[in-house]
Amino acid sequence: MRKSLARAGAAALTLAMSVTALAACSPGEAEESGEPTTITMLVLGDKPTNGRLEAMLEKLNVRLEEEANANLDLFYVEWADWQTQYNTQLLSGDDSIDLITTATDWLFAWENAEKGAFLPLSEEMLQEHAPRTWEQVDAEGHWELTKLDGEIQFIPEDNFTQWTNHGFFYRGDWATEAGFEDGTITKFEDFTTYFEWVKENQKEAYPWDAAAGASDVALTGYLQGHTDGQTIQQVSAGNYFPFQTTESDPNTVGSWYMEGDELLEAAELAKEWNELGVWREDALNYDGDTREEFYAGLSGTDQHHTQTFVGSIVDNMTKKQPGSDPKFFYWGQENGNYFRDILTHGAMAVNATSQNPEKALEVYDVLRNDEEAYKLLNFGIEGTDYVMTDDGKLGYPEGYDSSTDALGSNFWAGRMDEFEPDRVTDAPNKQEIYDQLDASAKDYPYSTLIVNKDLIDPTLAAMGGVLSEYIPQLQYGKFDDPAAAIDEMRQKLIDAGYEDARDSIQTDLDAWAESQG
Amino acid sequence: MVAALTPARVQLREAPTTDKPRSLLSRISRNKTLLLMCLPAIVFFIVFNYIPLPGAWIAFTNFNYRDGIFGSPFVGMRNFEFLIQSGQLWLLTKNTLLYNLAFIVLGNILQVALAIMLNEIRSKYFKKISQAVMFLPYFISVVLVGVIAFNLLNFDTGALNALIEQTGGDPIKIYSIAGAWPIIIIAFHLWQSTGYGSIVYFAAIMGIDNSLFEAAAIDGASAWQRIRYIILPSLKPTFIILLLFSLGGIMKGNFGLFWNLVGNNAALYQTTDIIETSVYRMIISQNNFTSSAAVGLYQSLFGFAIVMLANWIVRRINEDYALF
Repeated sequence: MRKSLARAGAAALTLAMSVTALAACSPGEAEESGEPTTITMLVLGDKPTNGRLEAMLEKLNVRLEEEANANLDLFYVEWADWQTQYNTQLLSGDDSIDLITTATDWLFAWENAEKGAFLPLSEEMLQEHAPRTWEQVDAEGHWELTKLDGEIQFIPEDNFTQWTNHGFFYRGDWATEAGFEDGTITKFEDFTTYFEWVKENQKEAYPWDAAAGASDVALTGYLQGHTDGQTIQQVSAGNYFPFQTTESDPNTVGSWYMEGDELLEAAELAKEWNELGVWREDALNYDGDTREEFYAGLSGTDQHHTQTFVGSIVDNMTKKQPGSDPKFFYWGQENGNYFRDILTHGAMAVNATSQNPEKALEVYDVLRNDEEAYKLLNFGIEGTDYVMTDDGKLGYPEGYDSSTDALGSNFWAGRMDEFEPDRVTDAPNKQEIYDQLDASAKDYPYSTLIVNKDLIDPTLAAMGGVLSEYIPQLQYGKFDDPAAAIDEMRQKLIDAGYEDARDSIQTDLDAWAESQG
Repeated sequence: MVAALTPARVQLREAPTTDKPRSLLSRISRNKTLLLMCLPAIVFFIVFNYIPLPGAWIAFTNFNYRDGIFGSPFVGMRNFEFLIQSGQLWLLTKNTLLYNLAFIVLGNILQVALAIMLNEIRSKYFKKISQAVMFLPYFISVVLVGVIAFNLLNFDTGALNALIEQTGGDPIKIYSIAGAWPIIIIAFHLWQSTGYGSIVYFAAIMGIDNSLFEAAAIDGASAWQRIRYIILPSLKPTFIILLLFSLGGIMKGNFGLFWNLVGNNAALYQTTDIIETSVYRMIISQNNFTSSAAVGLYQSLFGFAIVMLANWIVRRINEDYALF
């Protein structure tokens, strides 16, 4: 007994010692001895398992050691349940993470900044440890977009052109047969004609095989094209963005869910589409891969943003449905009511609990500005992950299959236009589409507005509950009497405290407008 | 189960000691084997149930990362307000309670019935096969159950509607009929859990003293009489203990099953939304830990009150059956 006790004690001691030994290898000491520091970067996406990422990191780390005496490691928040995973990871205060991918419109950057998840970055710190980044962002005056109470919270991906405005993808060949000149649809309501034609003539296909996830897009599409409402992106209630101003009155907060007849018009159109059989009767419970169905010719329409259209829809449809002539109708196309991407659609923050914030900035500066490092991180190893074609486009080696061979480094927080070549998979008319969008797009007017949500959080939660009950049913035309349903929803939103929330946001908007002069 | 370990043996071990009050240490060393057997369960509950308990404080704060759970500003009951503001509190509580009552009452009755039927089967192989077949659904993931349900019940391609159409009827929009879902959900729950749950009852029947059955046989008791006068009364303590255990979870929903069957279909919320699904929807899109903790706390306190009440009632009726 005594012997075994002694043995157990010895084992425990050994364990304790090895833990101490491990702890001694903390990064701080490593730097003194000249060992490279490992910087961990949190990215969004499914961790690849094809070995290509590791191969790339090996090469990238050689470069990083030369440039910053550091190594890079990636921490993945995977797509399954990513909102919860992401916020819980930040909540945990895990100090092994140094850099955090964030965004103000889809990754809760302001909420997390207010909660103190990010290390405020001083100008001196940026100038010393990320000088190239500092200079480029500063030259364009974009640091202002990232400040909370006067402190820089994150680094914007402000030098990368992308369009993430949503709309319908549809088939030009079918639209032509449905009677549209050149197969081009220019008005939201005209999709009724297109859908009717598909229903009648393509028995295999749903006119728009929509899945439960798309629970408000078509309503938004109608509202954007028929009002001059501008959604305040800083305030969400659940999955919905219920607060808008209008272009004609940009200083008054309201809601297109609460005011006007447009919501009813949109809901009535949706009801018509539902009765026509545009989507599955059980669309609210359907979660199939509708994009694949579009590629397979089993759906006449798909829904997502410009970047998806030029990056993969055109390429896939051309290969999988030859002659389908894929086209894009974007929300607000009729009346020019759509916006350029905000410059904080991607951003990089330093974790508040990071052990090596300075080193993290140095690594970021290399990843963003050093062409060799940039290409390794974003495209992989030349020859195995990508090739450059004779006309200077980024292509893929023989036998490359993007669904299994993707690099998956998911660096969406510091891409640079000058390092991004055109890709062979890009739509041939990509530039034309960009130019057309650019011609009448509006800039989001409230980029620097900060809404204090402390006081209205319970209200927003309650409103989110109400909206999640009514909006999907309105979108899929499931109410027998949409007008009555909308009245009911509006009353419930008022009961939930809509007016108080609106007034509170109004106060913040007024203060902001004053500070803007 | 612990009660079944004969107290006689424990007494036997304690018998030689004197009347002096024994120290905690000597009692621990005396019962070290039993305690060791309990250890995994004790550790489990300490780690997952007791250590996180103080964290419930987050429900009363305006949480921020810098100050942590205990440093963040105290806001009183503000995080509970949204439950009332949303007007959902009553609906969610009612749905959660009614579903669980149905699960518990119907579940236990079916489990007892199934255990008795299994016990009456004479063919050894048939008995084993039946048991295995009824046991299997328990191991099917609820994600698959959701998919199976959709493929059976959906309007456009579902098996049920195909059958109805083939026989000349009009297909039914099941995913739009809120009233149908309590039946569907309860049916799927029972299908999944009854086989598994019946095992405890079956074991209890096996444990009944055989001499009772022999005496009954000599007295000429029929099968029905054997069930009525021997088996059912012997199952009563097990039944009550299991009932009390399940009452402890009466405010907890079978989240996986509900979520996979109903998902985001708002048309069905009226009859299918339970506390868990509602909270989950708010959390995944809202980044709101404090309100979710508030709901969790409400759920736990309500559940705690129900257990105390049930235990109190049981003790009033028959002290031996009470848990504590």
